[in-house]
Amino acid sequence: MTETQQPPQDYPEVTVVRRKRMRLSLAWLVPIAALAVGAALIVRTVMQAGPTITIAFRTAEGIEATRTEVRFKEVVVGKVSRVALSPDREQVLVTVKLDKSAERLAVEDTRFWAVRPRVGLAGVSGLGTLFSGAYIGVDAGVSNTEETHFIGLEAPPPQLRGERGRSFELKARDLGSLDVGSPVYYRRTRVGRVVGYTLDPARDTLSVQVVVTAPNDRLVTSQSRFWNASGVDLSVDANGLTLDTQSLASVLLGGVAFTNPADAASAPPAADGQRFDLFANRKAALAPPDGPPLRVRMVFDQAQRGLVAGAPVDMLGIEIGSVRSVALIEAPKSDQFPVEVIADIHPARLGGVRRQFIVPADGADRADALFMKRAVDHGLRAQVRTGNLLTGQLYVALDFVPKAPAATLDARADPPTIPTVRGTLSDLQPQLADIVSRLSKVKFDEIGGDLQETLRHASAAGNDLQEALTSATAAIRQLTPEAQRALAEVQKTLTSTQTTLANLDRNVTHGDAPLQRNLTQVLAEMQRAAQALRVLSDYLQMHPESLLRGKPADADPGKPSEGGR
Amino acid sequence: MSAAAVPTAASSGLLGCECCGLVSEFTKAADSPRCPRCGFALHARKPQSLQRTAAYLLAAAVLYLPANTLPIMATASTLTGRESHTILGGIIELWHTGSWDLALIVFVASIAVPILKIAALTLLAFTARRKSRWRQAERAKLYRVLETVGHWSMLDVFVVVLLVGMVRFGAFANVEPGPGLLAFGGVVVLTMLASASFDPRLIWPEAERQARHR
Repeated sequence: MTETQQPPQDYPEVTVVRRKRMRLSLAWLVPIAALAVGAALIVRTVMQAGPTITIAFRTAEGIEATRTEVRFKEVVVGKVSRVALSPDREQVLVTVKLDKSAERLAVEDTRFWAVRPRVGLAGVSGLGTLFSGAYIGVDAGVSNTEETHFIGLEAPPPQLRGERGRSFELKARDLGSLDVGSPVYYRRTRVGRVVGYTLDPARDTLSVQVVVTAPNDRLVTSQSRFWNASGVDLSVDANGLTLDTQSLASVLLGGVAFTNPADAASAPPAADGQRFDLFANRKAALAPPDGPPLRVRMVFDQAQRGLVAGAPVDMLGIEIGSVRSVALIEAPKSDQFPVEVIADIHPARLGGVRRQFIVPADGADRADALFMKRAVDHGLRAQVRTGNLLTGQLYVALDFVPKAPAATLDARADPPTIPTVRGTLSDLQPQLADIVSRLSKVKFDEIGGDLQETLRHASAAGNDLQEALTSATAAIRQLTPEAQRALAEVQKTLTSTQTTLANLDRNVTHGDAPLQRNLTQVLAEMQRAAQALRVLSDYLQMHPESLLRGKPADADPGKPSEGGR
Repeated sequence: MSAAAVPTAASSGLLGCECCGLVSEFTKAADSPRCPRCGFALHARKPQSLQRTAAYLLAAAVLYLPANTLPIMATASTLTGRESHTILGGIIELWHTGSWDLALIVFVASIAVPILKIAALTLLAFTARRKSRWRQAERAKLYRVLETVGHWSMLDVFVVVLLVGMVRFGAFANVEPGPGLLAFGGVVVLTMLASASFDPRLIWPEAERQARHR
């Protein structure tokens, strides 16, 4: 609105400093520097990132995106970044970002598997392992061909590459408390672990894969015996109570133990992958090899309460087999139902005896049956005996019975029938019945009547006794007045004695008694005499001359020194 | 509406010192006029204002990417293992754990404010360059708001630095700064520099015409 005004004259003039100014601002260096820094940061991050791989699993149980780690030799080498279903929904695709340092793991023969959490007492190396949850284990491949897609294993591979040792397969009846990772013990020292187990539903077999690490793997020989050292083996059978444990850890964790029989010390080390039997316990494992069992049949004509499947069959004190089944059968020509017992026996456990009975010509397959036949010819009979009176368990004993009724065994029958004799308990039962019937013949009524009569007599005698006691009391009562009289006399005597003593007291000991008074006077006289004598002796000491000159007239006994000279 | 003829100090041949406040006369052409009293460099407008603003904004925008993609801190603890945290990841985690209010605060302070600042300054610089007369009063207000808010955008950096200093429990828990923190700090500093180098007087181009002096 107004014209530009001239500035008032008193404004100071600006100072001028000559300086060259650049057309382009130096501030443009800042974005260039920022670009450099940003690029460096991103490049470094990209360089640090290793390859991204995809692993297909059957289930994503325990696998969590951004949390689950990939561990190789317990070193974290990557992390799960994404968990997704495969397009066909059959599998779970786990995307893993490996570290730069683990780049070489992404090769075609690398194996991945999911390790799901289990509370392991065997290896508490860090509390973190208890809480870290599942992780993906890696067994590094040695190939040079890169690969980014893998199929995850369902179980850890039996043996990792670079881990020296041997793996073995154990045929087991049941798994017990074994699990992947359970320890394998030799002389209660940990030498390996269970790496997996497979149940084959087609053949109904269970095999447990174990790895024994070097250098302990040479301890496993072809003669080694494996047994399940899981938990506490507590059993009650004809032998009584049996408790067997391996170690505290195995009690809680389960485990497999093995040992070598004493006579097999020089056996060659077992080959990798050799199959062994997994026995239920140490005793079963260390039992000598049995060979195939011989099935035998025994028929007992009494009820055999307490004889159950699994009961031991004992020959001359050696357990050679067990009962398979106990059943009642119908006898052809009687009303009775005998007991048929089928048992599997291993005569091989007898050792030398069996060899003596066997002729080489028998042939291997019929040897056991022929052995039994010859034993029966020598008087071998089956008998049911009581193994444990407490539990009532029975066992079948095969024993040579003298004077047994003649019998024979048909070695061609299948199964051959071993002749039987009555068991010890069966013998006992009729005897007990006899005792009971004899007891019942005793006339308890008459005995009771007699007893009552006797008691009545006793009662009469008691009355007589009471009478006698009463008269005795009366006699004592008659005696009493005379005794009282005698007592009064005694009292009188005592009173007179007391009087006499009082007199004596008055005459002698009382202060006013004449004897006392006289005595006091005499003593006073004697005191006075002694005083006079002391005065005299004092005087004589000071004035010995008075003995010659007599006492001076004015002499004062109080002041002898002044008056004397 | 006032037209072009607004009397300004520059049009009157006068320059005010931004340091000591002395008004001095400016008659002969000079490259670098100085305050006769305190010696401070005088200029009618901030020198190379738009160029500098643009440069700082570009740098901030470049650093904004690593600031949000790289972890700003890593926590290591025995129980959870080692974990890296980005700003956005932290916000998502807060949101999922139910602390949506905290998530909102962090989002506004760490993501929204820097990006709005960059955008607003870009707008201001662009319109100033075009000598636009579009909503001049609102643009001036926007600039004042930016100046005020800018002081508070370092909160994240402070929090992480405090955590790094305080959470040191050896094997149990540790916090380490990540490379993203550096980039984030850079973004904050650069946006502050950009807003400081922008001359709000450029919002009014009618005055600019007379202020021939750079």
